[in-house]
Amino acid sequence: MKVLIIEDSNEMACSVRDFLVRESYICEIASNFSEAEEKLFRFQYDCILLDIMLPDGNGLNLLKLIKTEQLQTNVLVISAKNGLDDKVTGLEEGADDYITKPFHLPELHARIRAIYRRKNLNGNNLVQFNEISLNTNTLGAVVNGRILDVTRKEFDLLLYFIVNKDRVLSRQSIAAHLWGDYTDDLANFDFVYQHVKNLRKKIGAARGTDYICTVYGIGYKFNTSAT
Amino acid sequence: MKLINKFTLWYLCIALTCTVFSTVITFYSIKSKMDNAAIDRLLTINQIAADKIRSGILWDSSVLGRKVQVQLLNTPMPDKKTTVSKSESSYPGSQKKEYRITVSSFLPINNKNYKITSFGYVIQSEHLLTGIEMTIIWKWILILSLIAISARLVSKIILSPFKETLKAIELFNIRHKKKLQLPATNTREFKELNSFVQAMTDKAVDEYVSLKEFTENASHELQTPVAVMKMKLELLAESAITDEQALIITEVQESLEKLSRINSSLVLLTRLENHEYSTHEPLHFCKLINETLDFYKELLEMKSLSLTKKITSGVYVSLNPMLGQLLLNNLISNAIRHNTGAGRIDVELTHEALIIKNTGAEPNVPTSELFQRFKKGNQSSKSIGIGLAIVKQICDIHQFDIRYTYSNRMHTIRIGFKEINTNFLVSPTSIINSESTVLMPVEPSL
Repeated sequence: MKVLIIEDSNEMACSVRDFLVRESYICEIASNFSEAEEKLFRFQYDCILLDIMLPDGNGLNLLKLIKTEQLQTNVLVISAKNGLDDKVTGLEEGADDYITKPFHLPELHARIRAIYRRKNLNGNNLVQFNEISLNTNTLGAVVNGRILDVTRKEFDLLLYFIVNKDRVLSRQSIAAHLWGDYTDDLANFDFVYQHVKNLRKKIGAARGTDYICTVYGIGYKFNTSAT
Repeated sequence: MKLINKFTLWYLCIALTCTVFSTVITFYSIKSKMDNAAIDRLLTINQIAADKIRSGILWDSSVLGRKVQVQLLNTPMPDKKTTVSKSESSYPGSQKKEYRITVSSFLPINNKNYKITSFGYVIQSEHLLTGIEMTIIWKWILILSLIAISARLVSKIILSPFKETLKAIELFNIRHKKKLQLPATNTREFKELNSFVQAMTDKAVDEYVSLKEFTENASHELQTPVAVMKMKLELLAESAITDEQALIITEVQESLEKLSRINSSLVLLTRLENHEYSTHEPLHFCKLINETLDFYKELLEMKSLSLTKKITSGVYVSLNPMLGQLLLNNLISNAIRHNTGAGRIDVELTHEALIIKNTGAEPNVPTSELFQRFKKGNQSSKSIGIGLAIVKQICDIHQFDIRYTYSNRMHTIRIGFKEINTNFLVSPTSIINSESTVLMPVEPSL
């Protein structure tokens, strides 16, 4: 997948790139409006990460440009403005999703994949990993051909793990993914622990491999090399 | 009382005082003038009579048609050559009392002393008064009617710049960031007022703009470095690290999380205070509350909390949808977080109010103080203590009445809604639109 990161903070753009490169994405960085404009006209991208506040222009204008030029791409808006209304404006202007700074990298990745699934793999809503298969439309999880009785949160959690497989997922990142960051410190990690525990139990009951392992002090990891 | 009425009253008081004094002065001056004129005339008559006596002309008892009394004095001449006496007497043969002036002159004629006396009638004081009275009444009718008419007309003209200023102030909204336009005037007081108001509002607008800029900049400038730190830590966590380092990374991450949450909450509070979310549309509140409770279902189960719902259907509240979501999230997550093990939560929604009750430890500060920023019922809790301040602010800008009480081991938050005008609900499409913009706290990444 080819990704264009439009972001004025170089450290931030590099962090995102370093993270996504490991997923064998091809990443390019544009640090200002004109550079982004030029890249958009010259190359094609599967996904654009767009920071709304740019030193030489408003990111929303780039969004309008993408719309009027009918560029075939997905746009994920990144904003430091935690204005709830900006979120709506961004989505109304044709963005596919919206994420607020500061965010967790696995969360960003999950969002990119979600948009990609929704827009590019028409009708194919299956996320498959070995014996586990998830249908993102029906929210059904199947392990070894057996339907797994998972709650909505457990489904989200499993999908998050598979999308970010072999990544260390911190408890904060999981909590933010499951409950959002709207609430004042609800991210009580006991809940994360409970969810992970239940999920592992259910996969185990379906004779699936226990891919999820604990990373001491930090959180969890979906270990693809587990047996 | 209207300013013009106050002025009018003052002028009337002054006019009244002047009238009283001037009436007294007029009365006495006219009266003394008349008396003096009569006395002068009588003196002249006495003199004429004396001249006649002196020249030896036979005289009768009347001079110029007036009766004159002449008396030969045996006593020496008194010091005063003339005496004037005023008395009330009646005409001969008339019952009516008249005011009579009698003037006696003592004159030496041909070495003999004579007393020559004559009298005349003058107009009575009461009659004089009646005449003046009529003048006063007419004068007052004229003054009153002229003041009443002119005051209204003139005040309209004179006070018009003032009224325009008032209107401009009334229509002034700092959020429009537009400077106040005041009418030009040549009245000094209004000029002063206008320049004062102008300076004040200009300053307010400038401050507001800079505050807004600061808010936005602060939010943006702080979130980016925090985001970078978080990402770098995540990248670091994936490298080969020791257990000790892992713990340190987690601690730093938790602090960063708190920092960014405090920052974004404060920015949100500022924006609420600036009334930036003023789109009040009818919000399908009962639906929203059911969705929110569903969202927290699993958390409730994990904490083994029992939930009792009493939700009236068809409740619409005039509320910004995003703020409504925020309000419910904060209240319900609070009720979950500050609950005891195996406790309960009661949620009741009626057309008038939303009541959320939950079991929990007794707060060690008065419940009303819990609405303040960074006030926590339990200082050891991990929360930053800003959720209720946001709830309070949302209630304030929507003019909801919020109360927090603690009794019988139950925390109760009651939000009384402002009455919603059902006319709002004429267009069903507007309701659908408002629902479609509701953002759930977690957008499933599917």
